[in-house]
Amino acid sequence: MWESVNARAEASNFAAIWSMDGTVLLDETGEYAARLGIRGVPTNVLVDSRGIVRGVGLTAPDELNAAVDALLADD
Amino acid sequence: MAHGEPVAQDAACVVDVAHHSTRHIPVGMGPEGIAVDPGRRRAFVSCSRSNAVTAVDLDQGMKLWQAPVGREPIPLIFDEPTRRLFTTDARSDTVTVLDADTGRQLTQVGVGEYPAGLGYDPGLRRVFSGDTAAGTITAVDVDTMTAVGTVPAELGAGSMAIDTVRGRGYCANFMAASLTVFDPATLRPLGRIPAREGPCKVAINRVTGDLYVAYSLDGLVARISLETGAVTGEFPVQQAPVGLWASPDGRWVYVCNRGAGTISVLDARSGEESHRITVGNGPGDCVTEAAGRLLVSNAGSGTLTIVDRPWLPGAPPPEAHPAAGKPLPEFALPDMRTGRIRTTREWAERKYVINFFASW
Repeated sequence: MWESVNARAEASNFAAIWSMDGTVLLDETGEYAARLGIRGVPTNVLVDSRGIVRGVGLTAPDELNAAVDALLADD
Repeated sequence: MAHGEPVAQDAACVVDVAHHSTRHIPVGMGPEGIAVDPGRRRAFVSCSRSNAVTAVDLDQGMKLWQAPVGREPIPLIFDEPTRRLFTTDARSDTVTVLDADTGRQLTQVGVGEYPAGLGYDPGLRRVFSGDTAAGTITAVDVDTMTAVGTVPAELGAGSMAIDTVRGRGYCANFMAASLTVFDPATLRPLGRIPAREGPCKVAINRVTGDLYVAYSLDGLVARISLETGAVTGEFPVQQAPVGLWASPDGRWVYVCNRGAGTISVLDARSGEESHRITVGNGPGDCVTEAAGRLLVSNAGSGTLTIVDRPWLPGAPPPEAHPAAGKPLPEFALPDMRTGRIRTTREWAERKYVINFFASW
């Protein structure tokens, strides 16, 4: 997102450098990020099994780990 | 009267005691570094995705010119005696020199691989390029516009701060969890300061004699005494702090939280966060200009924000993110690898994490 120029190539290169093997989707215009109210990067969004957003932000490792543990523990 | 609120509306006068973001000026794609010409009331912004530098009139709030430089310019320095601008071009491995009055390119100087940081010693007449991939620091003479030597640093050498009082330079080595200390005159390395993972930005408060280090991975800022070398505090800010600036009076330290779209304003006496300022998307760098206004480059918005009276608090931010507790909006976005459109339906009834990132 916010790449503006050669988004696919830039994102592919970034993913290769950092060994990102998971699914990567392109939000080239930033429109989806804007709909979610994302105002900075990196930002993590946690979603539960009902499709509800359970957390936004969460970039410090301890913070993210705690939030993921809580999400996984929630039925 | 609470901060950020005017007096009663039926009063004879209303006193505004809040900061205000007064302008958001489009400057180009991916704005990063900012430099100010106080005499001519201009700001210069390096636009990393435009491969250009944009000049802005601070009084009119409008662009004056945009000039091409090397590929992916990040930091920017203005040298007043020569009236030259210096950028490091991360993907060209160069320092580009521009005439600050016209934008005319004067020369490009070869430096080390992926230069992403820039330090400045006006007395020594040098700028210093942090060559991130090479792990070196290249010194460039601002008068002759030539490279004059290198200092060995470590992998990720980038952001730089020069203590002109004690004659020391500090370079943050992002990939090595350290700071390199060097002599900016002799270019001798003087030592190494162990740091947390990912030191992203360094800045000096010349009034208090402190070095500040922003740790973008941990969301905090550390303060180090330049006299003793001791860490005197670590202060939480918001997500991904990547920019730092100390006000000339030494009273405030402004922190760009790239992950939150805000500026944390730290009280330099206590080190604690006094308040936050909402700016554009993905703020990366900030400086103050002569009248005390704060200029912020927003890489995600492509804008330069001007904030009046940034030392004053504003309206308190919302407690929770507006998306929290609500259904995730549906998406239909192309897969980077296959090009196939992927939708929220594929992940229905699953728990997952979406990571938003930009490939800077």
